[in-house]
Amino acid sequence: MKVTVKHWHAVATWRWDTGTDQQTIDEEGDVCGICRVPYEGCCPSCKMPGDDCPLIWGECSHVFHMHCLLKWIGTAASKQQCPMDRRTWVTAERKVAPTR
Amino acid sequence: MATTALRAQVAAKWQESFNRMNKGGSGISGLMTFSRAWEVATEFLRPKDISDPASLRQYNLVDIKNAFAAVNQARRLPVMLEVYMDDIRKHQYLITREVTTYMSHYEQLMDPEIIAKLVLRLVEWYDAWAPIPELGHTIRDAYTLTFQTHLFSILPPSFARGFKALCASTLPSVSTDSVVDARPHMWAAFETLGLFDRYEALIASVVYQHIESHVVKTCAGQWAEPVLPNLRDWMSKKVVKWMFSPYARGAKTMEDAALMLQGPGQRFDFHMSKTLCDLRTREIFSIIIDYPDSMGALQDLKECLQRVDQRAELVRTLRRANEMRLLHPGADTKDILTQYVSTIRCLRVIDPPGVLLFKVADPIRRYLRERPDTIRSIVASLVGDGESGDSLVDENEPIHPLQQPETEDYTDPNWEPEPIDAGPDFRANKPSDVISTLVSIYDSKDLFVKELQVLLAQRLLAVKDGNFEKERRNIEILKIRFGEAALQVCEVMLRDMTDSKRIDQHVQSQHASIMHPTIISRHFWPTLESSSIVMPGQFEKLQAQYAKEFSTFKPDKKLRWLPHLGTVHLELQLEDRKVVADVAPLEAAFIELFSEKNVWSLDNLIPRVGSVDRSSALKALATWLDLGVLKEDTENSFRLLEVAEDPTPGARPAISRPGATNFTKNPYLAAHRACAGIAPVTDDLPPASSIHQQQAEQMRVYWKFIEGMLTNLGSLSLDRIQAMLKLAPGYDRTIDQLASFMEAARREELVMTKDEMWRLNR
Repeated sequence: MKVTVKHWHAVATWRWDTGTDQQTIDEEGDVCGICRVPYEGCCPSCKMPGDDCPLIWGECSHVFHMHCLLKWIGTAASKQQCPMDRRTWVTAERKVAPTR
Repeated sequence: MATTALRAQVAAKWQESFNRMNKGGSGISGLMTFSRAWEVATEFLRPKDISDPASLRQYNLVDIKNAFAAVNQARRLPVMLEVYMDDIRKHQYLITREVTTYMSHYEQLMDPEIIAKLVLRLVEWYDAWAPIPELGHTIRDAYTLTFQTHLFSILPPSFARGFKALCASTLPSVSTDSVVDARPHMWAAFETLGLFDRYEALIASVVYQHIESHVVKTCAGQWAEPVLPNLRDWMSKKVVKWMFSPYARGAKTMEDAALMLQGPGQRFDFHMSKTLCDLRTREIFSIIIDYPDSMGALQDLKECLQRVDQRAELVRTLRRANEMRLLHPGADTKDILTQYVSTIRCLRVIDPPGVLLFKVADPIRRYLRERPDTIRSIVASLVGDGESGDSLVDENEPIHPLQQPETEDYTDPNWEPEPIDAGPDFRANKPSDVISTLVSIYDSKDLFVKELQVLLAQRLLAVKDGNFEKERRNIEILKIRFGEAALQVCEVMLRDMTDSKRIDQHVQSQHASIMHPTIISRHFWPTLESSSIVMPGQFEKLQAQYAKEFSTFKPDKKLRWLPHLGTVHLELQLEDRKVVADVAPLEAAFIELFSEKNVWSLDNLIPRVGSVDRSSALKALATWLDLGVLKEDTENSFRLLEVAEDPTPGARPAISRPGATNFTKNPYLAAHRACAGIAPVTDDLPPASSIHQQQAEQMRVYWKFIEGMLTNLGSLSLDRIQAMLKLAPGYDRTIDQLASFMEAARREELVMTKDEMWRLNR
């Protein structure tokens, strides 16, 4: 017998490739360290998740919602530091979502 | 021993009487004249037996009058009257005899005509014995009274019945249009004999019955048009015409007649309204079912209720009918909702302020609140679920935002007090549109939004042709009702659909694939049942390839499959035939495995698709059994039928594992599959878990807290647990929900309870 698939309507969820280990993929997703909303959700000022509310990766390996981090960096108190480890924030350019 | 004085007094009296009668005639000639006149007069007045012709004589009226005048002059009239009355009493037996004859005749034949004859005969007697009118009305009245008193004393009880039948026979018949002769002389006879006054209630009741039978006959079940105008027409044409003889006899002009008819006419009109009102009240439940084809009946009812105060009765009847016919476990929730909505609309017609509605709706709302699938049904009708075709929501109704009941605005110049029969909880400005009313069954609209989300998820995932414009339209409409913010989640879901389509187009252009996934944003969809199916063979390859293309397109994102969702369109190339089928992924996975080898046992199959429980595995395999692709040779051992075996569907081998699955034993589903033939529908797998499952799922999170506090603090009361859980973020359960959860935990032997204190079972 030969099985030919003509059409497959599948269902999948997307998630950000945050570089976490594939093994932990089944765990409840990580949350943004600033707003405590999952990465796949959207930051408090956004309504649409995904490309409209992208993530931002730092050289320090911490990941936040881009909007959350930019707002933080914009405040004087931040001293341009990563809120998690107080190192100067340097965006890891390679992983920023291409803005379209 | 008469004294001289007495003697003198008697003599004086005698002389006086003599002089009066003799009137100064010579000798006793005056006395002679008087005695002749007395004789003539008494002879004239003597009651005669009119059935005996011999006793009848013609009198010279002039002589009689002169005789009476003479008696009157002698002031002997009172004495004569006494004699006259005595005579009448003595001759009453004549009448009694006739009445008895007539009545026994009537009792045999039951013909009201006999009563009519009797009445006319009695009038003959009455006329024959009556004194001449010149004697003045005193004598006439005395005579009438004596006559009637006697008459009523001898009329047997059956007379009333006969009299009623007689009156009824004069009424225009309900069925025919012919106007029966109203017989004015008969009514005159009734009046003469005093029957009319005595039996007035009886006559009225005849008319009432007549009106009732007419109303019931012509109006029962006639709901499309208002019947009241026709009834009024009928009243004025038939009944009023009839009423002229009994009620407006003495009328000389039309104005007189109108005046005399006004009283009884109003009573009859009221009775007609009441009868119609009673009829419609009895029919109200069916009228509501028929809405909007029963507008006429509703308008009638409205008008009748204004005239007849039977609102309480209407409420009582409708509530009883609802309890008996609607609010029972046998009724579909959807039907209850439909009837409720119709009730709302109907009672708005009858009673715009909504007092009736408030009273009737209360039990329905309470009942609906207890039903678990009410929200789902309401939401389904909100989004216009195509199941039944007719939506609860009128398409033409303008869409309003949900209205919140407001406090009364006393500065409103058009403010009106609450209607007089309004209950204590009644709110004049309740939400007025149907959806607001339905949503207000529950205290919060969040429940609706959650259920809406679940329903939308199901519908979106079931969309095959990528056309979800209908859903988008529905959400837009619902946004107006529930507000933009509440439906934000649904908005994301819809955007996921368009995004998936766009991504798919891109991926297809890079590397054509037969796979067209829907990619969803996990946190914005209702909790989808997770599963750990691993798709075997070519499916796995397809998945991997698509995921790779996706990552190329969106380098910062990854796909994670939900392999148990979706549908697969397959073509099986067997030795002697082709089978084309739309199946669930698990079913596709199994058949894929059969392309590796022809015989599999259930225990070998299951590990190859990851972990599924046996019943869903058997269910999936049953699909192929039904399609005649597989055969269960021995228990739990399946063989691929390369060559079709006995194509009749009845030959499908029965799976004989008791309790393992009742799916294949369910005759309805089996038949359903057989009918669906080549493309079985996978409708029995709800992709999104219902609200209840979700709540149970969320409760598991709190189990950790409960476990922790019971470990640290030993045993706790339910109240303490609830109080401590409230400290946990996002905890919104009631103590009842917690109690049922704890009860469930006790059944699983995780905790035990003693004296209402809970502690861990270890």
